[in-house]
Amino acid sequence: MSTQIAQTQPLDLHLLESKPFEPRIVGFLCNWCSYAGADKAGASQTPYPPNVSVIRVMCSGRVDPQFVLQAFHKGADGVMILACHPGDCHYKEGNYRALQRHRMVIRLLEQFGIDQQRCRFDYVSAGEGDRFVQVMTDMVNTIKVLGPAKPLLEPVA
Amino acid sequence: MKIGLYICHCGTNITASVDAEKVAAAIAAEFPQSYCANVEFICSDEGKTFFKNHLLEQQPDRVVVAACSPREYENTFMQILAEVGINPYFLQFVNIREQVAWVTPDPIQATGKATIAIRAAMARVQLQQPLHKQEVEANPSVLVIGAGPAGIQCAQYLAEAGRKVVLVEKTAALGGKPVLFEELFPTMECGPCLLEPVQAEILHGNHAHNIEILLLSQVEEVNGYFGNFTAKIKRSPRYIDNSCIGCGMCVEACPASIANDFNCGMNDRKAIDMPFLGALPNIPFIDPRACMHIQGDSCQLCLESCPVPEAILFDDKEEIIERKVGAIVIATGATLYDCRQAPELGYGQVPGVYTSLEFERLAAANGPTAGEIKNSDGKAPECVSIVHCVGSLDRKHQPHCSGICCEYALKFNRIVEHKLPGTKVVHFYKELVVPGKESFTMLEHARSNPHAQFIRCKDIANVKVTASDGIPQIAYQDIDGNAGSLKSDMVVLCPAMVGGEDSGSIGKLMDLDRNSAGFFEELNGKLHSAQSKVKGIYIAGSCQAPMNIRETASQSMAAAGYILSALVEGKKLVVEPITASVNEEQCSGCRVCGSVCPYNAISYLPESHTSSVNALLCHGCGTCVAACPSGAMRGNHFTDDQILAEIEAILQ
Repeated sequence: MSTQIAQTQPLDLHLLESKPFEPRIVGFLCNWCSYAGADKAGASQTPYPPNVSVIRVMCSGRVDPQFVLQAFHKGADGVMILACHPGDCHYKEGNYRALQRHRMVIRLLEQFGIDQQRCRFDYVSAGEGDRFVQVMTDMVNTIKVLGPAKPLLEPVA
Repeated sequence: MKIGLYICHCGTNITASVDAEKVAAAIAAEFPQSYCANVEFICSDEGKTFFKNHLLEQQPDRVVVAACSPREYENTFMQILAEVGINPYFLQFVNIREQVAWVTPDPIQATGKATIAIRAAMARVQLQQPLHKQEVEANPSVLVIGAGPAGIQCAQYLAEAGRKVVLVEKTAALGGKPVLFEELFPTMECGPCLLEPVQAEILHGNHAHNIEILLLSQVEEVNGYFGNFTAKIKRSPRYIDNSCIGCGMCVEACPASIANDFNCGMNDRKAIDMPFLGALPNIPFIDPRACMHIQGDSCQLCLESCPVPEAILFDDKEEIIERKVGAIVIATGATLYDCRQAPELGYGQVPGVYTSLEFERLAAANGPTAGEIKNSDGKAPECVSIVHCVGSLDRKHQPHCSGICCEYALKFNRIVEHKLPGTKVVHFYKELVVPGKESFTMLEHARSNPHAQFIRCKDIANVKVTASDGIPQIAYQDIDGNAGSLKSDMVVLCPAMVGGEDSGSIGKLMDLDRNSAGFFEELNGKLHSAQSKVKGIYIAGSCQAPMNIRETASQSMAAAGYILSALVEGKKLVVEPITASVNEEQCSGCRVCGSVCPYNAISYLPESHTSSVNALLCHGCGTCVAACPSGAMRGNHFTDDQILAEIEAILQ
């Protein structure tokens, strides 16, 4: 077992940006279905693009529209909200709330000049590893076609 | 803040594509007060010992473990934190195996993705707050609603284990529907013979003292949460008390009568009567709608004929009974889809058309015809047509297959063959379903009946029943498109099973979801089919899905098992701290949170004009937190600032 305290070294955090355009996408995954679906994709070791960084929430219903706006404000090129399939929500109806909020937030984003396709809501169950890979790949490809997003600006006081 | 970062290599599972040294270096540069330890297998005994000792030595303020999925090992490491005196909610677990290494073959990309994920965790963990599990006292008693096969079996198991059970049944007798059936598939044993021993155990067995039976009763209100429910039960008057010896003298004396619900209204019962012959408990009840005395007449013939007249209580009153229990089992059963929804089959219009339940009663020795299969004109049928799949497998009615209808339809074939030898039996069906290890015998037997005919139709809508000279006439088109017709003086419809009549109101009382057919939704249809989505409320038997008696019995045992393991006498219940809580200073009292809560966990306090979360009811989904327009609702362990810190760190 190797144990050591790491040395301070120059940081190379822009590895993803060394390529022409690598989108930065924030993915909100519910703990019970879509996060488990991502684990399933991992267990089957099916590769997919690395551009989506996952934030685990207990339920897609926890995803506050301000998280989506904040992600675009901080420079995200896309945001994903993945939920349990209709009728499968671990918390009965959190996925429906998430869907309602998504419908609202994409209209708001449109007003800010952010293409609705940059904020995707989808369903992935715990068993759907293949579907997770497909949804991830689709999203990254969509954002690659759209190009970098214009960051949302802070409201002017 | 000193954060201890532990990167597991998982052998080479992680390090095959993630360069752990590079990740550690990048993180160390950003978080100079923190430290990073690389561990080959952190989940091994050796790894866990190292982790524990290292924590004791380093005394970090927060801990990040980057390894496999938190769904697998987060709990293990939270326990270790607790063991060394660190609040377990100071841990953040990062998934760099399933969601990074295994799906990102390119080492540069994988290392970059892992770094971002760990950086987000490092940012978030600093904002994590200590949380503490709460312990609450729990009542080990159980309320069982419904005294059919599921309810009585469940009550009996629980009573045998020493639990106090309140068994609530809306009718005047125990046993539910199958106790009204003369014979049961596939072995043709008699229904009462199967269920009476359980009923007798419940009434007079060694554990009967643990069961409080409330007949003619319905649950009106349920409050509380797992471990501490309060139920209000409305008991309608029976007008007869337990000193009754069940001699039946009063029944003979009674001059009034009313349609008999136990026989689907096919005959009348006396105003004072046994629910049905052989019903347990063996005590009659008075239907106040029919009793002349209760309706104001001076008649008291029952009282005059009774050898123990104190048993009859004309002044018996409805009462509300309150009981405190820790868990609730719903065993309210199923009902038949209303055949009037398929008017082409003539139910309610054409004489001689019966539902399967009505036919069960016609075939039962204690039914309206004393077991003689005959029409209301008193004539035995020459041809009995049995229509399967009524309202089933049809999106216009119910899309599901109830599974048991074919089995009892084949049983009817056998009953007709036995009781009326030589009578023609015609089966119309869309699909024929006889699963399991025994039911094929029913099909074999029916097929070998020389007077039986099987006609498959593409759709049951292709079967039409009209009256011809007062006798049902069936016109049909079979699956090959051939049209045909036949005179059938008795038609038995086998409709889809749907959720019981009361499941809607019971679902509302306890906030349980039902599917479109009215069956209760389970926590998980495969692993937890006897658990509802509400903690502490269990579902047993055909209120959950169409099922036969065997499946019902298994499910009731499962419900009892869940309760015995989750609600242990003398043991407190542990309440997880990942719940929502209200910052009262920020709360404007708009009550949006309460309107989105799926568990009715949020109440409004009029004195302070604020909302309040009951942590025992809250499941921690956080939908109220996302809904709160003033930021007053806090989602413990998933707070806004924690999630925003993650977002910012990811996009840094």
